[in-house]
Parts: sequence; structure tokens; C-alpha cells
Amino acid sequence: MEEDEFFGEKTFQHFCAEFIKHSQQISDGWEWRTSKDCSEGYMCKTQFQMKPGTLVSHPGTSAHVQTCLPVEEALELPPDDFEVTETTAGIEVVKYEYHVLYSCSYQVPVLYFRASFLDGRPLALKDIWEGIHECYKSQLRQEPWDTITQQEHPVLGQPFFVLHPCKTNEFMTPVLENSRKINRSVNYITSWLSVVGPVVGLNLPLSYASITSQDESVP
Amino acid sequence: MAEESESTLQLPPSTAAEGEGPTEVSPETATPEPPSSAAVSPGTEEPAGDTKKKIDVLLKAVGDTPIMKTKKWAVERTRTIQGLIDFIKKFLKLVASEQLFIYVNQSFAPSPDQEVGTLYECFGSDGKLVLHYCKSQAWG
Repeated sequence: MEEDEFFGEKTFQHFCAEFIKHSQQISDGWEWRTSKDCSEGYMCKTQFQMKPGTLVSHPGTSAHVQTCLPVEEALELPPDDFEVTETTAGIEVVKYEYHVLYSCSYQVPVLYFRASFLDGRPLALKDIWEGIHECYKSQLRQEPWDTITQQEHPVLGQPFFVLHPCKTNEFMTPVLENSRKINRSVNYITSWLSVVGPVVGLNLPLSYASITSQDESVP
Repeated sequence: MAEESESTLQLPPSTAAEGEGPTEVSPETATPEPPSSAAVSPGTEEPAGDTKKKIDVLLKAVGDTPIMKTKKWAVERTRTIQGLIDFIKKFLKLVASEQLFIYVNQSFAPSPDQEVGTLYECFGSDGKLVLHYCKSQAWG
């Protein structure tokens, strides 16, 4: 196997940088963060989703609103003096955070995520699970516990849900090998995230596909 | 538009909501005509003009994935990636535990609700959309 098979932390950071460059071009909201005391870094994005809910809570103006709020034209926030009541119909705003970290043990990127209501209440896995696309539910056998686990974020030390990376090599390898055959480089992060992201509600805009794969320059 | 009539098959329309694959595939030997509005999924508005035309999709296997004998398909614009995945899985007779992924540009997986028509507009060339598919175990 060639040396560039090895997906090390430097390679991870390189592809993340390329990914974020494109994110900035299309205002997709991804950022790079480094931990203060170590050289680890990761990519993160916050996104808001509307969920039908039984409790209509005061939305407030979240201090966490990122520059690129995703398009939600149906975003009709009740006026400020709206009372907190329990109703049978309502819309709740859920804040999703997605973090992409490098796993030294698996030598692949890993997707960490968590969700909370605007008042800070975290969503349980059960609630997140309900929001997952139908097609994945059957794949994950209605029991996400083996594939999605709760773990401590390596840098923040807070509980996050994690999409287990044990099979990452399995689905990435054919894509990478195929690209090598046709002499094109692949942005591992973009390719990987396009596969795993939708499982947990993170859909990449199609324009990322233009940076996934580029013709290698002839040496 | 060069069409090899014997290998361009109609992808049967969805029977209900998106995501449901067809139950049966019937090959046609004649060049497929654009279907009547009956082939449009229920609930959608009557599309005008060009939007009724089907997309020529060329399916290519990646890795150890079985190669489909029929590679070229005429697909409605509104068919989603998930619908296409379900169809290929049935066609290849994959078991439930096997996952199938579809890629554009050989490396980017569009999200399941993405429509073939949109993908064609972004990545189509020479009158067709090339999609690579790959069988894998991604979870569990």
C-alpha cells in the first residue's frame, strides 16, 4: 500500500483546511478550533433546525446564532411577549452542533454531535433518533446504540454523541482506491462527511462535490 | 441525444412517497417515450415542458460491488438518491445489512433527498449523469 494511505493528523488538518476554505466561500458556517493546551484541532458547525413539538418555548435571541443560519423560511418566531405554554402543536428550535475530530486510535475522522433546545435542555439520543432520516433508521436497525454512542468530547470534555468510526475505512477505501486509479485526489473529509453527515441531520451542499475530487497535477 | 434503445430502461415510477423502490422492472426494447403524467409521483404539480423529461443516468460500480448488467437508466427528475439506492439494492439483491452509497464526481455522496434532476444540472455532461455506486458496511 502506498504511503499516502496513512491518514494521519496532518493529513486530517490539511483536508479540514480545504473543506473550511470552501465553507467560507459558500458561507456554510464551518470553523476550525484548537484547544488551548494541546495541538489538537477540530472542525465545528452549529446549525438550527425546526422540530414540531408539544412545548412551545420562548425562543429568545440565541447568543449562539452563527453567521450562517441555514435557510428556514418557515422560521416564524412568536413575539417576545409570548407566554411559555404547553400546547398540542408548536415548533421548537433545536440547536445542533457538529464537530469533526481526528481519532488517533482509528486513524480516521470522527463525527461528534449534540443537540439542545434554545433554553439549554439537551436532547436525548431518543429524540435525536426521531429526527433521523427514515432510510437510515432501517439501516441502523432501529437501535442506534451500537452505532451512536455517548462519549466525552476529547477537547471540550463534555458529553457528545459519536458516530462510531469502526467501519469508516470500509466505506472510504473503495472510494479512495477508485480515485487513485483515475489519478484524482480526494478530499477525504468532504467525501467522508458527505456519507456520514446525513445520518445525523447534517447535509452538505452539493457545491462541496466540486472540491471533493480534483485531477492530480502531473509531476 | 444518442440513446442505445436496448439498454435504456425505464426506472419504474415510485408507487408512493419518495424512498420506496419499485417492485418490478420490465425491460423495454423500444426507445422510451416521456411518460404521461401518470408516472409523476402523486402530489406533485404538473411540471411544465422540459422538467418532464427523464434523465439518462449511467451507473458505475466501485470496488467489489457487483456490476449491474444494465447500466443506463432513464430516471425521472424528481427521483431521489434514496429512491435510486433502494432500487439498486433490490436489483443487486443486497441483504438488509448491506448498505449502498451513490457518489457524484466519484467521491461525493449526495444526501438522500437530493433529486436526480438537480444532480444532473450540477454534474451532468454529454446529456447524462454518471453516478458511481458502492456496496459497503458503514454502520453497526
